[in-house]
Amino acid sequence: MTVLPILKSAALAAVLLASTAVFASAKDVTISVWSGGSGPNDNYRTDAFDIAADILEREAAIRGEQLNIIVQKTPYSGWEDFKQALTLAAEAKKAPNIVATGHEDIGPWAQAGLIVPVENYIDLDSWPIGDIYPNLMEITSFNGAVYGIPQDAESRPMFFWKPYMKAIGYTDSDIEALPGKIEKGEYTLKNVLEDARKMQDKGLVQAGYGFYPRNSNGPDYWQFYTSFGGVMEEEGKLVFDKAAMKRTYQYFADLVKAGVTKKNHIGMPGDQWWKEVATGKAGIWHGGTWHYARLVNQEGLKDFFANVQFTLIPAGEGGKANTLTHPLAYLLMAGHTEEETQIAADLIKIASEPRINALHAIKSAHLGISPSETKVDLYAGNRWASEATERLLPHANAMPNNAEFGKYWTIMWKNLEATWTGAKTADAAVNDAETELKSTLGNSIIIR
Amino acid sequence: MAEKPQPSANFSSLPVILLLTLFSLPLVLMYAYLFIDTISETPVGSLIPNEFTLRHWSFLWQTKTGKPNIWLVTLNTFIFASCITAVILTVASMAGYVLSRLNVPARGFFLAGVMVLHAFPSVTLIIAIFIVLQYIGLYNSLIGVILVKAAIDLPLGIWLMKGFYDTVPWEIEMAGIVDGASRFTVWRRLVLPQIKPAVMALGLFSFLTGWSEFILPQVLAPGAQVQVLSVYLASLIIDDNNFDFGTFKAVGVFYVVPVLILYVFFQKHLMNIYGGGTKG
Amino acid sequence: MRTSRTLGLFMIAPASIMIFLFFLMPVVLTAIFAMTNMSTATGISGGAWQVTQAAVNRLKTDLPELADGIAEPRFIIDEEGLKELETLKLKPGFAAELRAEHMGEVYPSRREAERVIKALKDRPSTREVKQISDLFNRSVLNTRFETRDELMANLKKLGFDLTPQQQDIVARATYTGWIWTTDNFRIISSSPDMAQIFFNTAFYVSVTLLLFNVGYALFLALTTHYMQASTASVFRAIWLLPRITPVVIYVLLWKWLTWDSGFISTFMSQFGYPPKNYLLDTAYNAWFFVILINGFIGASMGMLVFSSAIKAIPQTQFHASEVDGASRLQQIRYIILPQLRWPILFVTCYQTLSLLASFNEILLSTRGGPGKATEVWSLAAFHTALNNYTGNLEYGLGAAMALVLVVVGIILSLIYLRIFRYDTLISKPLIED
Repeated sequence: MTVLPILKSAALAAVLLASTAVFASAKDVTISVWSGGSGPNDNYRTDAFDIAADILEREAAIRGEQLNIIVQKTPYSGWEDFKQALTLAAEAKKAPNIVATGHEDIGPWAQAGLIVPVENYIDLDSWPIGDIYPNLMEITSFNGAVYGIPQDAESRPMFFWKPYMKAIGYTDSDIEALPGKIEKGEYTLKNVLEDARKMQDKGLVQAGYGFYPRNSNGPDYWQFYTSFGGVMEEEGKLVFDKAAMKRTYQYFADLVKAGVTKKNHIGMPGDQWWKEVATGKAGIWHGGTWHYARLVNQEGLKDFFANVQFTLIPAGEGGKANTLTHPLAYLLMAGHTEEETQIAADLIKIASEPRINALHAIKSAHLGISPSETKVDLYAGNRWASEATERLLPHANAMPNNAEFGKYWTIMWKNLEATWTGAKTADAAVNDAETELKSTLGNSIIIR
Repeated sequence: MAEKPQPSANFSSLPVILLLTLFSLPLVLMYAYLFIDTISETPVGSLIPNEFTLRHWSFLWQTKTGKPNIWLVTLNTFIFASCITAVILTVASMAGYVLSRLNVPARGFFLAGVMVLHAFPSVTLIIAIFIVLQYIGLYNSLIGVILVKAAIDLPLGIWLMKGFYDTVPWEIEMAGIVDGASRFTVWRRLVLPQIKPAVMALGLFSFLTGWSEFILPQVLAPGAQVQVLSVYLASLIIDDNNFDFGTFKAVGVFYVVPVLILYVFFQKHLMNIYGGGTKG
Repeated sequence: MRTSRTLGLFMIAPASIMIFLFFLMPVVLTAIFAMTNMSTATGISGGAWQVTQAAVNRLKTDLPELADGIAEPRFIIDEEGLKELETLKLKPGFAAELRAEHMGEVYPSRREAERVIKALKDRPSTREVKQISDLFNRSVLNTRFETRDELMANLKKLGFDLTPQQQDIVARATYTGWIWTTDNFRIISSSPDMAQIFFNTAFYVSVTLLLFNVGYALFLALTTHYMQASTASVFRAIWLLPRITPVVIYVLLWKWLTWDSGFISTFMSQFGYPPKNYLLDTAYNAWFFVILINGFIGASMGMLVFSSAIKAIPQTQFHASEVDGASRLQQIRYIILPQLRWPILFVTCYQTLSLLASFNEILLSTRGGPGKATEVWSLAAFHTALNNYTGNLEYGLGAAMALVLVVVGIILSLIYLRIFRYDTLISKPLIED
C-alpha cells in the first residue's frame, strides 16, 4: 500500500509537467498547421510554413519589429481520423490556426462557424493571390465569400498499362492517340470494360484485375456520374440525376458481372493496391496526378512513361469525357485572436507564392495553382506536371461547395457500394438513394 | 508442488491435449512470429528468416517524420495507465467499502446501478462523453481520458472490491471500534490491509486495461503531445505509405512486453479478475 | 449512526461524481442529441442566422417577395455609412475621400465595393477595408447574425416589416444551427441499410457467442479439466493471451496472418495458390476472421468462469460415477453440464453486452468491409457520428443509433439483475454507529 500514494503523486506530477505548455515569451507567436491526406510526398503542405515564417520574420525585422513564429505542424496521412480530430478540436475551441483540407469541407465548416473567410485578412487582388487561377478561387468560395486559398490543384486521370494494351492489339501510335480519342468521346467506358475483359481473357492479368478502381470512397466516383451525364449542382442546389446515377451504378455492377473488377474490391488494403498497380498486376485503373509521385518515388515504378498511358476519364452514355480536380485549400480556423489569425493569413499568402508552392506541386505531383507557377524552373522542367496540366486541367470539374454535399455523397457512395457488392440492383440502389435523399435533404436537392 | 489427484485419472488425456494443441497453434504461431520478425529479415515468399537485423527497431532512436517521439509516447502511456490505476483503486476501494459495510441511503439502488453499469455498452456514449469533456475543458488532455477510462472501469472495480470486503470478518472492525477508533481509521488501518491481494489484482487489471486502451485516447486525445502507444501503433499501421510488418511488430513487441512480464508474474491474480470476478 | 452515514457519503462521493459525469450525463446527452439533426454543419453549440443563397431558395415558396428583395448583395456609399465611419476613428481621409469621390455609388458585390475602398489614397489595411465595407453593406445576404433579433432588425431597416409568423418562417429558413427532430428514428426504422446493419449485428453476436464465448469456452474448460494441472495451466495461459494483449497488437497479428504478404498467403503459395488477402477477399472470409478474432478474446472469460465452476463440483461425484463405469461424455452430460447452467447463463448475458458494444477489433481489422459486409451496429454508430471519409459527422443520427444500444443494454442488464438476484447480495451492516 505504501507504493500506491507515491506512485500516485509521482504520476500526477508527471501529468502536470507533460501538459504544461511551452512557456512563451511575449513576442512569440505559435501558429499551428494541420493537414489531411499528407503522405511522405506531401510534406510541403505544412513545411511551406517554415519557409513562410522565416520570410515573415525577416520582413518584420526589417520593419523594426521583432516577431518570432513557432510553427507547429501536424500532418495526418489519412482523412477519417483527421476530420474527426479537427472537427472535435474546433468544437472544443482547440482548433489549429491553419488547416489544409479538401475544399468540400468549406460548406459545412463555414455554416457551423468553424472557419473564417480568408478574404477578411488577405487582399485578394494582391500578388500572388490575384494570380491564382480564377476557377480555383471559385472552388474555395462559399456564400459569396472566399474562405480558402487553394493549396494545390490536381486532376484524376484514367491509367492504362501500355504493355497489355499492346498485347491486346493496340499499336504504339494507337496508344499515343488514345488521349485524343477519349477527349472526343470515341473511346468510352464501354471500351474500358471490353479491353479489360480482353486483357483477362488473354491471361495478362488475373480475374478482377482488368479494371482496378480506387480501393475506397473518394471524389473519383463523381467522375463516373459526370461521364454518364450527371450534374452535381445547379445554382446552389444539389442535383440528383436518377438516370445518370443509375447508369453509373449499373456500370460498376457490369464490371463485376464481367469479372473485370472484384466484387469485394472496396475496402482492400491500400498498400496492396499500390503495390499491384505499380507492378503491372492491373490493366486499367484510375487515380490522381499525385499517383505519379507515389508510383515513382515509393513503389519503384522507374519508367513510368514507358509503361503507363494516362487520359481523361472516358465518356459514358449520355455524358462526356471529364476529370475532377479536388484542390486542397488553406483555411483559417475561427477561435483565435485577430492578431494571430492575421499572422496565419500572412503566412498563407507567402506559402502561396509560386516558388514555394511549386515545391509541393512537383514533389507530390500535384498541379500548380497559378500561371506564374508554371514558369518556375522546377515546374517547367517537369515532364509530368506539364503534360498532365495540358491534357487534363482544361476539362476539370470540381465537387460543389455545399453544406449538404457531404450527406449527398454519403448516400451516393453507400448505394454505389451496395450495387458493387451485389447487395442491391442498380434500380433498387437508385430508388433507395432517392428515398433517403428526399427524407434527409428535402428541398435542398433537385431530383430528376 | 505436489500433483493434486485428477478426476477420472484412469482415462488418457493425450487425445484432448493433441486436439487443443492443434487449436492453439494459430495463437502460438502468431506470437512466435511476433518476436521473430522484429529481429530478422525474411525473403519474400518464404516463412523462414535468413538474416538477423535490428533495422525494425530503429524507431527507438529515430523519431519518424510526422510522428511523436516514441519515448514521450511511452511515458504518456505509463502515466495514463498508472493514473487510471490510482484513480480506480482509490475511488473503488472507498465506494466498495461503503456498499459492503456502511449504512448509507439508497445503498441497494446504488449497488444495482453499479451492477447495470458494470456490463453497460459505455463506449457507445463516446460522442456525449466528448461533450462533457469539452464542457469541463479536458478534451485532448491526458487527464480527461484518464478520468473517462477510470470512470468506465469503475463499476467493475467497485463491484469487485465490494465482493472482497464482504469476505472480511466483521470481528476485525468490531475490535477496532471497541478500541475507540473511528470508522475511517478502522477502514484505513484494519480493513484495507486485509484485502491487499484484491487491491493488487484490481490494480494490475486496471493498469493492463489502461495500457491497452485504444478508442478513448484515439477519439478524446488525438494530439501528438498526448498520444499513447496504442494510438501511435494504430497510426503507423493505417498509414499505407510505409507498410512494413517488421516495424509494426517491433513497436508491438515494445508495447506488449511490459504486459507479458506482468502477466507471467501475476497470472494467478489476473485469472481471478478475468474470470468475471464476482467472487472474492 | 451519523458518523457512519457521513463517512459513507463522503467515501462514495468520488465514485458518484465520476459515474454522474461519465455515465449519467452522457446517457442523458445521448438521448437529447438523438432528438436533433446535429452534424458538422450545424455545430453542437448552436448556430447563427444567415441569409444564404440556399436560404433564399427555401424562402421562395413561402415569401417570394422577400426572397427576391434580399437575393442580391448591395453596397451603397451613403451618408449613414459615412457617419459611422467617422465615429470609427480610422484615418479621417477615408470618409472625406469617399464622400467627395464616391457618394451615392452602388456596387452589386462586396468585391467591387472593396476595390474602391482599397484604392483610397490613405491605403487602408485589409482589416480596415473589411471594417469600412461592412458599414456600407445595404443587404443582408451572406451576413452572419449572431441573434435572431439582429437579423429581423436589419430586415426592417431594409424595409421588410414582417409579421411574427413571417419572422418565424424567415428564422427557420436562415438558422444555421441544429433543430429538434424525430427524423433520426424514422431513418433508423425505415432505411434498408440500417436493417442490414441490424442483421449483421444479430448474426455477429449470436454466432460469436454460441461458437466461442460459450461453446469453445466450455470446450476449453472441459478439456483442461481432464488434464494434468500443469498442462492445463499452459493451455489456459495461452488462451488468456488474446485478452491481455493490447487490441492494436492483437489485430496486427491477425493481419499478418491473413494479409496478401502474410502467413497464410505465403504458406498457401508453397502449394501454388496465388497470394491474396484472406481477411478481406470475400464477405465470408471477413466474417470468418472477424468471428475468430473476437471469439478468441471472448473464449477466455468463459473458460475461467466454467473452469472454476467445474472445480467447485465435489470430487466425490466424479469418483462415484467412475466406479459406476461412466464414460467422460457421460460425466460431462450428467454431472458437469447440469451444474454449469448458471455460469453459462451469466457468461451469455455478460458477453452479449460486451459483443454488442465492442467494435475495436472490427474497426482495426476490416473497418466494416469489404463493402459494408462486417459493419455492426456500434461500429456504424461510430462511423456515422465520428469517423467517415466525407467528414460529415452526424452526431444526431449517431446518437440515435447509440441510444438503441443503450436501451438494449439497460434491458439486458435488468434481466441480468433479476437472474442474479442482487438483493441477496446486500447484507445489513452489523455495526450501527
